[in-house]
Amino acid sequence: MRILLVEDERELAKEIGDFLQSEHHIVDSVGLIKDTSENLAANSYDFILLDLGLPDGDGLELLGDIQRYQKDASVIILTARTEVGDKILGLESGADDYLSKPFSLLELKARMQAILRRKGGWRKDTVNLGGFEISLSQPSVHFQGQEIKLTRKEYVLLQFMVINKNRVLNRFQLAEHLWGDHLDDDYQSNYIDVHVKNIRKKLSAFGPVDWLETVRGLGYKVIS
Amino acid sequence: MKLFHKLLIFNLLGKGLFLLLFLMSGPYLLRYFILKNTDRQLIQKKAEVLELIEADGIESFISNENPEEGFGSYNILKEEYILLEKVDAGTVLQDSLSSVERIIEGEEISYRVYADLLDINGEIYLLEVGRSLSTIEQIESIFFRIAIGILFLFLGLSFILDSAISKRIMAPFNRIIRTKISQINEPQEFNDLPISSTTLEFEILDQAISEMMKRIQKSFNQERIFISHASHELKTPISVLQSKVEALFVDENLNAYQSEKLMEMQDSLQKMKKSVNALLLLSKVNNAQFLKTEEVDLAKILHDLIDDWGEIAENRGIKLSHGKIDPFVFKNTNHSLCTMMIQNGLSNAVKYVSEEGEIWISGLRHPDRYEIRIENDGEGIDEKLLEQVRNGLVFLKDVNKEKSGFGLQIMHRIATFLAVRIQLSSQDGKTTLVFSFPVS
Repeated sequence: MRILLVEDERELAKEIGDFLQSEHHIVDSVGLIKDTSENLAANSYDFILLDLGLPDGDGLELLGDIQRYQKDASVIILTARTEVGDKILGLESGADDYLSKPFSLLELKARMQAILRRKGGWRKDTVNLGGFEISLSQPSVHFQGQEIKLTRKEYVLLQFMVINKNRVLNRFQLAEHLWGDHLDDDYQSNYIDVHVKNIRKKLSAFGPVDWLETVRGLGYKVIS
Repeated sequence: MKLFHKLLIFNLLGKGLFLLLFLMSGPYLLRYFILKNTDRQLIQKKAEVLELIEADGIESFISNENPEEGFGSYNILKEEYILLEKVDAGTVLQDSLSSVERIIEGEEISYRVYADLLDINGEIYLLEVGRSLSTIEQIESIFFRIAIGILFLFLGLSFILDSAISKRIMAPFNRIIRTKISQINEPQEFNDLPISSTTLEFEILDQAISEMMKRIQKSFNQERIFISHASHELKTPISVLQSKVEALFVDENLNAYQSEKLMEMQDSLQKMKKSVNALLLLSKVNNAQFLKTEEVDLAKILHDLIDDWGEIAENRGIKLSHGKIDPFVFKNTNHSLCTMMIQNGLSNAVKYVSEEGEIWISGLRHPDRYEIRIENDGEGIDEKLLEQVRNGLVFLKDVNKEKSGFGLQIMHRIATFLAVRIQLSSQDGKTTLVFSFPVS
């Protein structure tokens, strides 16, 4: 996919850019409204990651240009601003999602994939791991046609790990995906171990779950 | 009680009291004036009798042959009578005017009597002129009935009139309360259009509230801008740091020491993120930066939370159970804040429940409120400390248990913002948290 990254913080833009490139995407990175407008008019993008607080204006102003030049592109607003009006205005003006900084890059990836699945641009909705058919859009896991019942949180956790397969996910990243930032419990990352243990227990009744690895001292990794 | 109702009741009571006083004293006053008038008429009658005696002589009334018999006359209905009889010299009258009982033809009748001693030709005569009091009693009775009727009619009409007038007079004041004072907690929504009123005091009140709200609005806006900038300045470097740490995690050649240090960095980063987010959240809630336009199914939130936390609790040997959960939709609220508030309550119970203890949840619909109750075994929090948390003086940080201190503060601030009442109490090794949601 070709992605336009609009982010004025150079260091952050570099990290996001490197991450997206490691995911095999082409990334154009700009930090000003003027440059963004030029890129929007000149190129064609699949995804636009838009920061709002830009040095020469408000990123929300660009949503009009995006609607005009990049009708098919998906837009995620990335911002450190907290005003609720920005979120509503952004989503009403055509953005597909809104991600508050600081966010995990893996969360960004999961959100991008969710948008693609929703828009039908992602052909593969189900992932097969060791005979387990795991849906990425529905709370559904099957093994040889048999449905496996998981709790709501277990589905969300498993889907997130599958989306970020072949990558070590630490407990903090998983906990943040599951509960967000505001749950007041420093031990919530330990709850992840409970959920993973339960997922393993429920799945192993049907078949081996060796594709879900524990990376000692770090977290978990789904291998495919 | 509303001022309008108070004024109405006060008016009604005042007038009622006044009329009751009039009703009670009326018969006495009436009797007094009627008696006065009757007395005057009786005195006139005495003068007429004297004129007759002067013209016709005493013999026309009392015969010389039988002077002890005296003279008595009354009309056909026994409403008036005249009595003239000879008495001994030296007789003294106690009262010239009195109300007495007289038996005429076997019938006892109350009379108002004027009595006087006449000296005619050296003889002393007692003259009594009397008038029946039954007429006076009839007038009293009629007056009393008319007065009661007038009293109720007056009170009824007065209630309707007072109600209409008070409503009209109080209308601007009610508009001030409805459209202005109710917005004090959310100044952004404040409408400073003046309320039209012909009452000077209301105009002054309206102006004063508008001026005050403009100042609050200005200060809220400054706070909002500050929060937005602070948020940007704090969150951007954390974002950079998080991205860099995550990038390092991808390296598969990390040794155990590097992995451990990386996890410690991630842990510190996470704590920093949480603290910054919690402080910004508290500021935003205080600054009323959240919309309250959503409907929240509280029963669904409770069931979801019980599902989410059930296995975690079970894994820790905690029994998480629930009682009756009535359906209830909380309107005009904020979904994410409402969920966060209840979730923090449950998370707090999970944190403080005793080893192998029990957490019990219920959601009950009462006529005036919906009550979510979370109870857990285990030592609670000191009431004095809780009061400080409620007043925003401290963040409750439990150093021994290494737990962050924003949860209760966030819960209380959100509750205040969403107009939810919280009661958190600890007694006899049991902590009870109650959220009371207003029904209307």
